[in-house]
Amino acid sequence: MEYIVEKIGMSRTITVPSVPVTLLKVVEAKVCEVDTDKKAIVAYASGKKMNRSIAGKQKKYNLSAQFNRFVTLNVANEESGDLDVSVLNDVKVVKSTFDSKGRGFAGVMKRYNFKGGPGGHGSRFHRAPGSIGNAEWPGRVQKGRRMPGHYGNAKTTVKNEVLSFDAQNGILAVKGPVPGANGALGRVRIVK
Amino acid sequence: MRNKYIDAFEKAQVSEKNIPDFRAGDTLRVAVTIKEGDKQRIQNYEGVCIAKRGTGTGATFNVRKIGANSVGVERIFPLYSDSIDSITVVRKGRVRRAKLFYLRDRRGKAAKIRELRK
Repeated sequence: MEYIVEKIGMSRTITVPSVPVTLLKVVEAKVCEVDTDKKAIVAYASGKKMNRSIAGKQKKYNLSAQFNRFVTLNVANEESGDLDVSVLNDVKVVKSTFDSKGRGFAGVMKRYNFKGGPGGHGSRFHRAPGSIGNAEWPGRVQKGRRMPGHYGNAKTTVKNEVLSFDAQNGILAVKGPVPGANGALGRVRIVK
Repeated sequence: MRNKYIDAFEKAQVSEKNIPDFRAGDTLRVAVTIKEGDKQRIQNYEGVCIAKRGTGTGATFNVRKIGANSVGVERIFPLYSDSIDSITVVRKGRVRRAKLFYLRDRRGKAAKIRELRK
């Protein structure tokens, strides 16, 4: 079972020991069409994007104008209509998939946790990657050498325990952090 | 303004807590539950609250006392944690600021706080 969720932000519990919590809001969605293996076309609202292709689908599935995004999800529903969230009431573990925060073109210290050099005492070696190979033999840089480059903004999946689900607001509280910025949309897949 | 869903999540936990109204300058007695193996007991810690910070479940307060051999001791407690059995306000203090970090540099009589009289 999968759901489209919005990352709300983080909080904590007052239990001993205190547990870090990420709140995810299950986005309201309509199931348009269910396949035999419970794969379904699901529509949800995000932004104002609209074109004739979306308008056509909305007409086909009798949707109101705000449902402008379509995805294929595993659903609990048997038939089309509102997305069934009752399954989330007794879920223990989910896998959350989000795009991680983009860090742009990052150096090796940020990207691969290289140690770097001392800041002062004339060391002249601060955040650079250092040596990247040997000498005349092999005369080339080994494949897979970790170097600066684009970091983040990549699909990232983490496993989280579920602490509670508030069916009234559609708020799923999971233990620990989830990739991406607050307000970002992602998916949760029920593992257990 | 904080997010309403985060607020609701934290309020649900905090609302049952019975925390007295206090501010920096007040003398507090904090009853802390301590777990030793499978035994549990309560230890009192008494001192002057010198700072309160944070909102929601993350709020903390800072209590300073002068311990044995006149060594200053400061403990930071989470305001709403289940590890705190109770908080009692022993004495209301008359102070003019919210953070009393200047008390760290004072000894003896200079570190005294006058009682608040209405």
